[in-house]
Amino acid sequence: MAPLKALEAEYPILDPNFQAFCASHGIFSVEDFLIHDLYELAAFAEQQPTSEKLKQGITQVLSIIDTQHQPWLNGLELLDDALHNKHVLSTGREGIDLLLGGGLREGQLTEIVGPSSCGKTQVCLLAASNVATKQMGNVVYLDTGNSFSPQRIAQFVGHIAGCAFDEAGKRIFQRIMNSIVCHSVFDIFTMFNVLHRLVINFPSQLQKGGQVRLLIVDSISSLITPILGNSGSQGRALMISAGYMLKKLAHEHNVAVLVTNHTVGGERGIPKPGPWTDLEEHPTCEASTFW
Amino acid sequence: MLGRVATERPFLLLPPLHRVPLRVGNVVELVGPSASAKTHILIQAAVNCILPKEWNGVHYGGLERLVMFIDLDCRFDILRLSEILKHQITEPNGSMYYDEELYALCMRRFLYVRCYDSLEFLATLKTLHYRLQKEKEVHHVGIQLLMIDSIGPFHWVDRGSTFFPLGGNKRKCLSLQSVFDAVVQDIKKLLLVHPMLVMATKEIILGNAYGGDEVKQNKSLLDASGLRNLASNTQQLPYREYMPSVWQSFVTHKILVRASDDHMPIRHYEEHSVYLSEWLLPSISFRDKFTVKDAGIVIVT
Repeated sequence: MAPLKALEAEYPILDPNFQAFCASHGIFSVEDFLIHDLYELAAFAEQQPTSEKLKQGITQVLSIIDTQHQPWLNGLELLDDALHNKHVLSTGREGIDLLLGGGLREGQLTEIVGPSSCGKTQVCLLAASNVATKQMGNVVYLDTGNSFSPQRIAQFVGHIAGCAFDEAGKRIFQRIMNSIVCHSVFDIFTMFNVLHRLVINFPSQLQKGGQVRLLIVDSISSLITPILGNSGSQGRALMISAGYMLKKLAHEHNVAVLVTNHTVGGERGIPKPGPWTDLEEHPTCEASTFW
Repeated sequence: MLGRVATERPFLLLPPLHRVPLRVGNVVELVGPSASAKTHILIQAAVNCILPKEWNGVHYGGLERLVMFIDLDCRFDILRLSEILKHQITEPNGSMYYDEELYALCMRRFLYVRCYDSLEFLATLKTLHYRLQKEKEVHHVGIQLLMIDSIGPFHWVDRGSTFFPLGGNKRKCLSLQSVFDAVVQDIKKLLLVHPMLVMATKEIILGNAYGGDEVKQNKSLLDASGLRNLASNTQQLPYREYMPSVWQSFVTHKILVRASDDHMPIRHYEEHSVYLSEWLLPSISFRDKFTVKDAGIVIVT
């Protein structure tokens, strides 16, 4: 958040006198205002000769703070957004759609958990193909283990779209394949980078007519596990930040997010989802695959 | 004086919170592992709060006040709230017809905001007073419930991001302790001006309680930010407390909910999970069993 010095140009009430008063209480930026007692600050301002101007300055900073959080919505507005903006995307397989209550929901994060080689990547590839073909939206696929297969995607697309082999069919096929973008990410920082760039490019993407509808991370556990240690909170902090970034992207930009996770040995030998689920607790729906 | 007594009179919430009378100014913490119906309990309480006492001659028994929901978990499903509200509206009528106007009026009394990090949460709390004043003018009713779902998700992020304060030693740095000091302080100030009940959910991992080597484990977990308060460890909690002591001492009531291993069969291929709820503060040894149906939470005897 901005230091007070930088805000002076836009808000002349935050003049050097106000800045000096705040500095005397250890406040140098808007962030510092958040962890201070503002009523106490106002009481101190009362004792100053320029109390009126100082209090106006505090009110001005409060209105800047009001722009720093998400907007308040009432129940009707929320419902409207959920019904009109958050569509349900079919995964391409009826059984999975049934488990998910219709399919992958935009604005939500869905997690697929299962032991290795049970078909999680196949579900991701199928979902990507289906969304690209049917829902006419773009798909972003973050591949962490070199398991993305363009050949398999082509197979799925051919099957779903039933493309003919003429010119028009080829063009449609080309367009569908072009709408799936795969990024190889091998560490969590690259993932952050890719997601940041995605968010920045959203407005321009909208203009070009291709909006991202589905984001797949296969698999999130291979990004998280290397950074989680026993003690030290950095790894967990990164994991939770990653989770929130995905949730924010999902909700603000109406994207369905699908992640895969592996199972670890739990208590009494019963397999349970990997640490991402335990400490993060973000997923709305869990579908264990028993293929 | 009588008016103040009337608003501050203790009231009973719907099950499973019905065993202890709560009053405005209380801070209730709902703790439980994941998927233990905590958010459902909040939704149920919210619906009861936004419904009117009476409308068009039909008695609904609601509190007819505003609910502010601060979503820190970012998993809230408005469709579920809408479903439960519709059930509550049609039930007394006994027919499938529901009053559209009443539904819209109630939905408008439910106010919601999302926070993706602790800075946004702090910003929301700092400006909540003005927001409440504005909403009071619009709706002509005050707020009764402030819900936070859930408290503590940014715990690790804040813990890992303590940095050196530049620009003098008077400057407070943004750390877990300072964030929660500010949170508790702001909510306390709000409670003075807008008497309301605060309900917060907290995600915990059950079975992480300290075993026999209690003292040794405690010693190794004590760190500079003082997250563990040895003195308060006399109460045996079935989980590990990770919130700073400033929040722990702010909480006045605690209830633990979790999924039990039983399932209640309703049709032979469909089952509802049965949940257990237990008051930890005040400590009542009686456990309630409840299940979640389409219309909301139902106590199982």
